[in-house]
Amino acid sequence: MDLQFTSEQEAFRQEVREWIRANLERPFSEEVRDPAHDADSLVEVRRRWQKRLNSAGYLAMGWAPEWGGRGASEVEEAILLEELARADAPQVPNFLGISLLGPALIHHGSEAQRQRFIPKMLDCEEIWCQGFSEPSSGSDLASLRTRAEADGDDFRITGQKVWTTFGPWSNWIFVLARTDPDDRYGGISFFLMPLDQDGVEVRELRQITGEAEFGEVFFDGALAKRENIVGDIGEGWKVAMTLLGYERGGDTLSNPAEYDGYLDGLKAGVAEAGIGDRADVREKIGRLVVENEVLRANGLRTLANLAAGNAPGPESSFGKLGWSEYAQRLTDASHDLLGPQAQLTARTPGARADVDWAYQYLWSRAGTIYSGSSEIQRNIIAKRVLRMPTAR
Amino acid sequence: MQFDLDEDRALLKSSTRELLEKESALPDARAVMEETAEGYSKGLYAQLGELGYPGLLLSEEDGGMGPLAFVAVLHEMGRMAFPGPFLDLVIAARALAACEGDLAATWKARAAAGEALVVLACSENPADADPAAPAVRFADGKVIGTKTFVPSGAFADALLVETDAGLVLVERPGAGWNAKALDTIDHAQRFAEITFDDAGELLADRNAAGAILADARRCGALGAAATMLGLMERAMEMGVEYTMERQAFGAPLASFQALQHRAADMLLRTESTRSAVYRAGWALETEQANADYLISVAKAYAGPAGRSVCGESIQFHGGVGFTWEYDPHVYLKRMKTLELFHGSTRYHTNAAHDGG
Repeated sequence: MDLQFTSEQEAFRQEVREWIRANLERPFSEEVRDPAHDADSLVEVRRRWQKRLNSAGYLAMGWAPEWGGRGASEVEEAILLEELARADAPQVPNFLGISLLGPALIHHGSEAQRQRFIPKMLDCEEIWCQGFSEPSSGSDLASLRTRAEADGDDFRITGQKVWTTFGPWSNWIFVLARTDPDDRYGGISFFLMPLDQDGVEVRELRQITGEAEFGEVFFDGALAKRENIVGDIGEGWKVAMTLLGYERGGDTLSNPAEYDGYLDGLKAGVAEAGIGDRADVREKIGRLVVENEVLRANGLRTLANLAAGNAPGPESSFGKLGWSEYAQRLTDASHDLLGPQAQLTARTPGARADVDWAYQYLWSRAGTIYSGSSEIQRNIIAKRVLRMPTAR
Repeated sequence: MQFDLDEDRALLKSSTRELLEKESALPDARAVMEETAEGYSKGLYAQLGELGYPGLLLSEEDGGMGPLAFVAVLHEMGRMAFPGPFLDLVIAARALAACEGDLAATWKARAAAGEALVVLACSENPADADPAAPAVRFADGKVIGTKTFVPSGAFADALLVETDAGLVLVERPGAGWNAKALDTIDHAQRFAEITFDDAGELLADRNAAGAILADARRCGALGAAATMLGLMERAMEMGVEYTMERQAFGAPLASFQALQHRAADMLLRTESTRSAVYRAGWALETEQANADYLISVAKAYAGPAGRSVCGESIQFHGGVGFTWEYDPHVYLKRMKTLELFHGSTRYHTNAAHDGG
């Protein structure tokens, strides 16, 4: 057993830290609080940051060099993301393109598709959103009904997608649509489509946080070109499933690092309120410290297994379940401990400057729903890890 | 990086499992717990002594194998709900090794060989087993006062007593201790309250005792957490196995989503405990600066996690889970007891508050 990073990995961490120090103008939470910003200008901050990461070679590090990566290991990727989280760097606008679509193109796409789409994805010339979920197809994704009807060589897409993260700022969308209404899995194909065309309407979808980072996308006979199908016709489900499998462990250390920052903020808050030494307060925060450290232990275990070339252990199956539910406990506790002050919105005078508890409290409700709800995660664990029979 | 144990320790772990499955299968272990005065098999402890198990945490020259080996062994003992004061014996042998003098060396050797049972006697407050300044005195060669919840105290050959002057060795007098048996919910352990008016030998003064006891608590917490990992792992297996067999409404219980989701939570808690416990063992083994913190994290997490998993195992069994005959209660009882000792959940949660 060995959970120590190698000296090369530690040197890489130092390199990343120094690069961030030299290149990150200020933490993203400060940008958010700056009254000079609106939603669009915040996206510009994020776009600039992605370009900077890309030119420094820190974007899509795990990809092969020919596609703009470094062929980096999961451990290096995890270190990078941990340091970015610790520094409160902005999230890149194209995170869906880079974490999901890029690997799908590298594995299933045509040479022409890779050449056409990957460079612009990396330098943020094109921002991608994901068109999977529909109003009637969430957890049961394969029940999706958006139609793709042949039009000569090409297809016409009709239907509605929802929960389209970053939709309002995207130029392109990767869409699952039905090329065969009668074949549940084999009737789904994977299309790449520009959003700026007739027959596509993107509407903002206001979230419980008040922002409209999500969108709804309406297709009414929009054009999807044959050359922009990833994989073959009818292979969309296969492509989508491998793509969801790419979430491999690069984020295993970044969530605990982010929560470390929140816990520091929580301790500072209760200290200023004069209750930091109270036994009940210490016990409540101590419990959150313990749980976060256990998230990190699980993450290190996943990374160690990957680094040793072993199959990921059972702990890798509940990473998302663990952190998403933890985030709710943590942010919930912040309101209990800091009182009404924690509910002040970011730009309200008197709001705490270190953590935007009001926003985080609300945002934490999303984590247990997106990318496979907690219920779906538990189904998967029961079936695949515990080998329990198909649920009734 | 590598999460798996190295070959030597993995071998120790699997051979420990084989030994316990052969010599202390659950029906046998339960008979020992429930039908003998001591609650453990002296013969098996002697056998473990011959194999060097009680000396696990001694120096390498003394036959020790280090914290990760210790974790692996206690993990297996937890799975089998192995009865008796094994953890306390390992800790006492290590504490004796840290004391000066021939007497300490003699008792250390006897403890490590399984020839004598030595345990630490620290607690004085039945309402709180966490560390506190001792009221038991040592003066003029005599120990005066009362210790409570001494593990296997009534049967020990010698006790290492925490006193105001330091650590004092008290050998079992010819007439036996003035010991009161404390019957608790945990059949696998026999606690005693011991009132001393006995001759003793100071093995470590207050300064030295402080460091020795801190080390004993650190190792005790790690060993307890490893035991709890084994307990919850096996309790989860028993619970899930039962739902696979038991039929209701024409289908196995395991096919009901209400149980599947709870089983998934049991797995999450058990595997998270595994990550935390082995990481803590590795940290102590490799002398990481945050080892104490990581041990507190492991012990503080294992308590509530294990209590929940063992409770769910009873619930999964339904009515038979509440019978004496079925085994899940043995695991819940051991688990809840271990949660209170070697630093309670509250104690280690508080210790972890300030981070590593």
